[in-house]
Amino acid sequence: MDSKEVPERMLVSKIEEGTVIDHIPDWKAETVAKVLRLDKLKRMQADVSVAILQNVNSKSLGRKDIVKVDRWQIDEKDADILSLVFPGITINYVDEWQVSKYEPKVPDVIEGRIRCPEVLCISNAQREPVVSKFAALKKERTLQCQYCDTMIGFDAVPDHLR
Amino acid sequence: MEGTSDFLGRDVVSIRDFKRDQLEVLFQSVQELEENPRSLDGQLKGKLVVLLFFEPSTRTYSTFHIAAENLGMKVSGFSNPAGSSVTKGETLHDTIRMFEEYGADLFVIRHTMQGSPRFAAEITEVPVINAGDGSREHPTQAMVDLYAIRKSFGKIDGLKIGILGDLKYGRTASSLAYALANYDVELTFIAPDALKMRPEVQQFLERRGATTESVTDLKGVVGDLDVLYVTRIQKERIPDPTEFEKVKGLYQVNLEALARAKPSLKVLHPLPRVDELSAEIDTTNYANYFVQAAAGLPLRMVLMTNILGGAS
Repeated sequence: MDSKEVPERMLVSKIEEGTVIDHIPDWKAETVAKVLRLDKLKRMQADVSVAILQNVNSKSLGRKDIVKVDRWQIDEKDADILSLVFPGITINYVDEWQVSKYEPKVPDVIEGRIRCPEVLCISNAQREPVVSKFAALKKERTLQCQYCDTMIGFDAVPDHLR
Repeated sequence: MEGTSDFLGRDVVSIRDFKRDQLEVLFQSVQELEENPRSLDGQLKGKLVVLLFFEPSTRTYSTFHIAAENLGMKVSGFSNPAGSSVTKGETLHDTIRMFEEYGADLFVIRHTMQGSPRFAAEITEVPVINAGDGSREHPTQAMVDLYAIRKSFGKIDGLKIGILGDLKYGRTASSLAYALANYDVELTFIAPDALKMRPEVQQFLERRGATTESVTDLKGVVGDLDVLYVTRIQKERIPDPTEFEKVKGLYQVNLEALARAKPSLKVLHPLPRVDELSAEIDTTNYANYFVQAAAGLPLRMVLMTNILGGAS
């Protein structure tokens, strides 16, 4: 075997329970970790393990990244946001070794997860009990703030997460 | 008044929320009120309108205030946040809730923060009128502007309309552009690159199939226009003072600038003006901005009446 073609199974074993995020564009796994707020697992001192595989071989993509979260099933809403940024991504939930594929949906409205880049938007007002709200304009691959109309391209969403 | 039920209990947050036929019903009522100016007097007697102007205002505040008094309403609130509890740190949320408890029937809100009226409308069941939110929208001004154009030409369809000045930070420019998407017009945006129309407005117009072009120079297009809508450079909203210095005084609509204009051209301006519109236009047939400003009073009377069902 060519050393450059180490199969994924040799890098990390299968998981009994958790989430596998596959077909991530190569070298983008850190963005996935950011969208999924995996750092919160550390803060929670959760009993989970995270494997990040980067630049592994892929039949369809040539190269890809994979994120495996052992003993943690990611929130479907986060999975949906992830699909905005990486439309080709696949998300598999694993439960007692059984794998079920989750089909992410582009949400019509995203509440609370994205900070409006317009500093004068009411959703950024300190002390007001307001939650950010963005509508997805799917054709334009853009989110639009429902308060101030500011637009964010799907690709830029990771830069504006709360 | 036929069709007024379309406005009953409604918020007026964005001009985009209103269809052409609804606007036309409103304009018909305004025309009737202009013909019979006392016909709505006292129609909303006993109702309480709360004017919350978190940003100083003269014209819009005054017209809402006078309109409300003509309708017989009680008026509360403030024309300037100085002197109100806002300076003590009270939130918009609490201000709204407080006046709601005091029996408000209608809120009129101007705020520096964009989207404030929409947020207010989420907080309260009482109808909310947006009287200007930051650089985003000023829907009642757009209604006034459409009415003024309609009054001058007897129609809006078929006109070539130029919007000049600060299209990035000027809320009247974006609201008028949104409103004109209801009509078959050719829109020309005249602004320096730094102040061109915001992408979300352009995208909205594109989705609605509007005919638009963007230029930086008035001279090349002025001869084609039926309406020239002039706006002030919004010094107070341009974050970088050096940017303001670059664009201030870039446009001045004077007799020389209009040398090639059609004799039938009408110049509009939401006022107040600074240097962008010369007083030498005031005495010409081009000047339509005082007629436009005058329409603000009956229009706001009709709007408030329709929202609160006073003349149904």
